[in-house]
Amino acid sequence: MKKALVIILALAVVGGFFGYRMYNKPHKDMTAAESDLKVSAEDLLSSFENDEANANEKYNDKVVEVSGTVADVSKDEDGNTKVTLDAGDPLGGVICQLDNLSDHKRLEFPLGEKVAFKGLCTGYLMDVVLVRCVEVQ
Amino acid sequence: MKKTVIITLAMIFSTGMIFGQRYFTKAGKVSFLSDASVEKIEATTNTGTCVLDASSGKIEFAVLIKSFQFEKALMQEHFNENYMESSKFPKGVFKGQIRDWSKIDLSKDGTYKGTATGSLTIHGETKEVEVPVNFKVKNGTPSAEAAFSVALADYKIEIPAVVADNIAKNVSIDVSVDLQPLSK
Repeated sequence: MKKALVIILALAVVGGFFGYRMYNKPHKDMTAAESDLKVSAEDLLSSFENDEANANEKYNDKVVEVSGTVADVSKDEDGNTKVTLDAGDPLGGVICQLDNLSDHKRLEFPLGEKVAFKGLCTGYLMDVVLVRCVEVQ
Repeated sequence: MKKTVIITLAMIFSTGMIFGQRYFTKAGKVSFLSDASVEKIEATTNTGTCVLDASSGKIEFAVLIKSFQFEKALMQEHFNENYMESSKFPKGVFKGQIRDWSKIDLSKDGTYKGTATGSLTIHGETKEVEVPVNFKVKNGTPSAEAAFSVALADYKIEIPAVVADNIAKNVSIDVSVDLQPLSK
C-alpha cells in the first residue's frame, strides 16, 4: 500500500517535471536549424503563384533557405527588420523577417546585394512571407 | 504652348487619379490577447497586408496565421495545429467597406472615426462584422487602427474542456497599419 503511494507520488513528480518542461519548451533555434529546402526567391514566389495550395503544403512550417538580391529593407517601430528579396516580379517578392530570438551578424543589407536567408515559411499574401529568418553565410 | 501645358497637367492629374487612389502596406501589425482566468496569451504578427481604395473606401486586409509569434513555443504549436488549423486555413481575411467614406478626407491631416463593415474570414468561417476604425492622416500619410473582439465559437474554433479556463471565449484583436500610396 505504502509502496503504491510512493510510486504514484514519484510518477506525479516525473510527470509534473516533463509537463513543465513541455510547457516551457523553447522556440526552434534558427541559427542551428538545418534547412529542409533550398530555393531561389524566383522559384519560391512562382510556385506560390502557380499553385498556392500545393506550395503551402510543400513549404509552410519548413525551414526554407531562400536566395536572391535585396530589393528592400525596412524596420518597424517594434524593431523588426524585414528584407524583401527580388523575385523578378514588380508586385511580389519574398519577405524575410529577421528572427528576434537570434543574434545577427548584421542588420544592414545594401540593395542589390546577393543574400541568402533561412527561415520558417508562413505562406503567401502579396509576397511569400518567411519569419524568424537568419542570414546564411 | 498653352495646349502642351494643359495636356501635361491633364496627364499628371489623370495618372494621379489612377495611381494615387490606392494605399497599401505589407507591414500591417495584428496582435491578439486572450485574457482568461488562468493565463493571458498574446501573439503578434507584423506582416499583414492592407489595401485601401481611396476613392470608394473599400478595404481589404489579410494576415498569415502561421506568422503569429507567441512567447511560448508550445502555445504557438497548439494555436496552429489544434485551434486555428493553419495548414488547412492559412489566412485570416477581412474584406469590406468604410461607412460614410466621403466624410473621411485622406488629403487633409487630422483624425477621423470610421466604421468598417464587411466579411471576416477566420478558420474557414466567414462572418459579417462591423469594426470601428480610427484613421489618422499626418503629413499626408494615412494610418489606421482598429480594435475589436472575436468570439471563438463564431468561427468554429473549438477549445477542449481541459484548457477551457486557459483560453478566453472572446479574443480581443488589435490592428494597426501605416499606409503608403501604391505607386506600382
